[in-house]
Amino acid sequence: MKTIFLVDDSATILLSISNVLARAGFAVEKASNAAEALNKFKAGVKVDLLITDLNMPGMNGIEFIREVRKLPARKFMPILFLTTESQQSMRMEAKAAGASGWLVKPATADELINTIKLVIR
Amino acid sequence: MSEIQAIFIQEARDQIAELETGLMKMEKGDRDPETVNAIFRAAHTIKGGSGVVELSAIEAFTHTLENTLDRVRNGELGLDAPLIALLLTCCDHLANLLDATEQGGSGEQAEIRSAGDDLGRQLMARLDANDAGADKAERITSVVEAAGASEREACDAGAIADDTWHISVRFGRDVLRNGMDPIAFLRYLLTLGEIAHITTVFDAMPDAQEMEPESCYLGFEIRFRSHADKAAIERVFEFVRSDCELHILPPHSKLAEFLCLIAELPEDDMRVGEILVKSGALTQDELESALHRQEGSKPAAPAGVESAAVAPKLGAILVEQRAVQSEIVEAAVVKQAQSSEKRAAEARLIRVQADKLDQLIDLVGELVIAGASAGLLAQKSGETALVETTSVLSRLVENIRDAALQLRMVQIGETFNRFNRVIRDVAKELNKEIELVITGGETDLDKSVVEKIGDPLMHLVRNAIGHGIEPADVRVAAGKPAKGCVTLNAFHDSRSIVIEVSDDGGGLKRERILAKAVEKGLLPAGATLSEQEIINLIFEAGFSTVNQVSNLSGRGVGMDVVRRNVQALRGNVEVHTDPGRGSRFTIRLPLTLAIIDGFLVGVERASFVIPLDMVVECLELPADAADRHYLNLRGEVLPFVRLRELFEVAGEYPRRENVVVIRSGAHQAGVVVDQLLGEFQTVIKPLSGLFRNLRGIGGSTILGTGEVALILDVQALTQLAARRETESRSVSASAPAAFR
Repeated sequence: MKTIFLVDDSATILLSISNVLARAGFAVEKASNAAEALNKFKAGVKVDLLITDLNMPGMNGIEFIREVRKLPARKFMPILFLTTESQQSMRMEAKAAGASGWLVKPATADELINTIKLVIR
Repeated sequence: MSEIQAIFIQEARDQIAELETGLMKMEKGDRDPETVNAIFRAAHTIKGGSGVVELSAIEAFTHTLENTLDRVRNGELGLDAPLIALLLTCCDHLANLLDATEQGGSGEQAEIRSAGDDLGRQLMARLDANDAGADKAERITSVVEAAGASEREACDAGAIADDTWHISVRFGRDVLRNGMDPIAFLRYLLTLGEIAHITTVFDAMPDAQEMEPESCYLGFEIRFRSHADKAAIERVFEFVRSDCELHILPPHSKLAEFLCLIAELPEDDMRVGEILVKSGALTQDELESALHRQEGSKPAAPAGVESAAVAPKLGAILVEQRAVQSEIVEAAVVKQAQSSEKRAAEARLIRVQADKLDQLIDLVGELVIAGASAGLLAQKSGETALVETTSVLSRLVENIRDAALQLRMVQIGETFNRFNRVIRDVAKELNKEIELVITGGETDLDKSVVEKIGDPLMHLVRNAIGHGIEPADVRVAAGKPAKGCVTLNAFHDSRSIVIEVSDDGGGLKRERILAKAVEKGLLPAGATLSEQEIINLIFEAGFSTVNQVSNLSGRGVGMDVVRRNVQALRGNVEVHTDPGRGSRFTIRLPLTLAIIDGFLVGVERASFVIPLDMVVECLELPADAADRHYLNLRGEVLPFVRLRELFEVAGEYPRRENVVVIRSGAHQAGVVVDQLLGEFQTVIKPLSGLFRNLRGIGGSTILGTGEVALILDVQALTQLAARRETESRSVSASAPAAFR
């Protein structure tokens, strides 16, 4: 079973996306901020795909992606970030930081799963 | 309402509070970019959440709000007083929408919707007034489109017979490092159609010693059969669009378009041509004639070909420039976000459903009772080892109890901060200038207490603004600063929390209170009362000194309701006033409502619990005081009540009786009992409605033996004792017998 690691400070988003993922047969890990997520990474959590929000208090998503990419074990891990239609410029920045791609929210469950299937089998 | 909507609503409420706090900071002149960013983020989170839980009314409204705030954040829109006021009204509207949703509506009620539409129009008006920038953006788009058009014009000679799409892709070096697998795109492409032919291009691969294994050197030439449109195919490569080279030619493309393609691909022209022929996109003839034509018309054609090659690049550069600009802004904002450590601390919180906590506390309560029972049995058995073990156990249980109760503790600051908005609105309405000073916001207290203390506090604060603080001219005449000051303070004091609401206004006027009380029939004319007793009249039911019911404090409740609410929380409220300098209302509350340290006493075979923090000392009842209702405690008069009499416990008076001295606020009283049984951890079980009107009893608990003990309401007892003492002194020395 593939594990997806979901990082978002919004409980609404965490719950809704993890529900969709769980229904689609993925295992879900959750963290509500970058620091917590990094700790989990350092503790060696098994992750096949990371999905993170960009707008987070504390360390923001872009900085977080940069930090994750610095971890040797996570060099080639797919990373998707959550974004909205209105945040085009942030996409470039997040991509430059090492993200694989993005999920536009709000999205239907199908859109979400299709995009995820693009980056993991 | 679904679970996720409930979570969303709670989260949105928090975000609205953030929004308000931020806006009010900015109203006071705070221009810290982090404040602006926090406001924006709050609106953004609400919008994101509402989209997910499909509350479209909220989503649509927050969208406009977010756009406005985004402009503010980017410095395109100045945040002036009218705009802040407008945004605050938007917060109110959002809160209304949430309320409506919670009550089962969809936020679509006509009244709310028209209010929302109106606010939306006002926001749009502010945006439009500021829209010089948007024109520029449109011009850039049209330049890009024009470039696209010239590309199409440049390539219109001879259509190719092939009915497949042709996709050329060269991946960027970082594709693998960004966690993408090139094969994934092909897999995704297959969901749209069928790959007729594919050639893997690895010409970019350098010599082995220079090759970096982590870099991607691959490209594909794909013939693709599909009914999807170009945009859909392009979307497949969306994630690598910015760092790969991608060309998509529709079926039956013009030969010239392939020429453009050949010219643009990084590999040698002939090599690309070969690949195309091999993949079946072009026939050898087509290729040769095309290359020949290109060769032959060099002087004429380049203008077209070049403009095709250059124009889109120009467009891309323009777009890029635009992106870079906002990127810089974004990066700067991001830096500041990191500096705020408090936010990170907030993010470490875990949300737990309140009823889960209640359940835990309940269980801990049972544990405490079971522990007490085990302790009792151990004592009875007289086995030292067992007694020791149970005492360790009971100490641990005590720790668990404290830790569990701590979980329910929240800081009162959040409640206090709500009053910033109240003060601002009410002060504006009354045309007064008032500052709110908050201290002790970090003081913890039980969540259920916090929820119930909001209304009494609101009333006190409104009173302070409405009645306490004088109009500016009166203040200046009295030599005080024109700006009034209301202070909210909280601190812990021996297992209770004290909340103070004070103002630097005119103070309470004794004569007016007295006159009013007589007029309302609360007091016979000519009665003599102490100063404090006069002041306390404001807590009597039916008392209100302001004649007309103002919109502010006169919401149908008086100070008597404040006192009742506080008493319902086993607390009390007192007032101190200094004429001309202001007044201070002090609310004293127990830290928690669930478990207390009690002091167990016995009368005959019945047991009673007195809250330990109310107990001052214990002493033997002096023989000379036995037939009075007061005794001499080190020169002070201490009124007392006998529980035996109060609860009409049958049986003989014991030879020796004990007095427990209890204190509630400033009053002390004695409670006369038969035996003192010592400290006892008490889990408070509420009494059923049947006992609601019983004075002197606050609840019940279960002892280790399984017996029920009643918990005494100390406040009511002290009042009762004080009243009896006054009566007995004012009537005659023989009167006490009447109470027997």
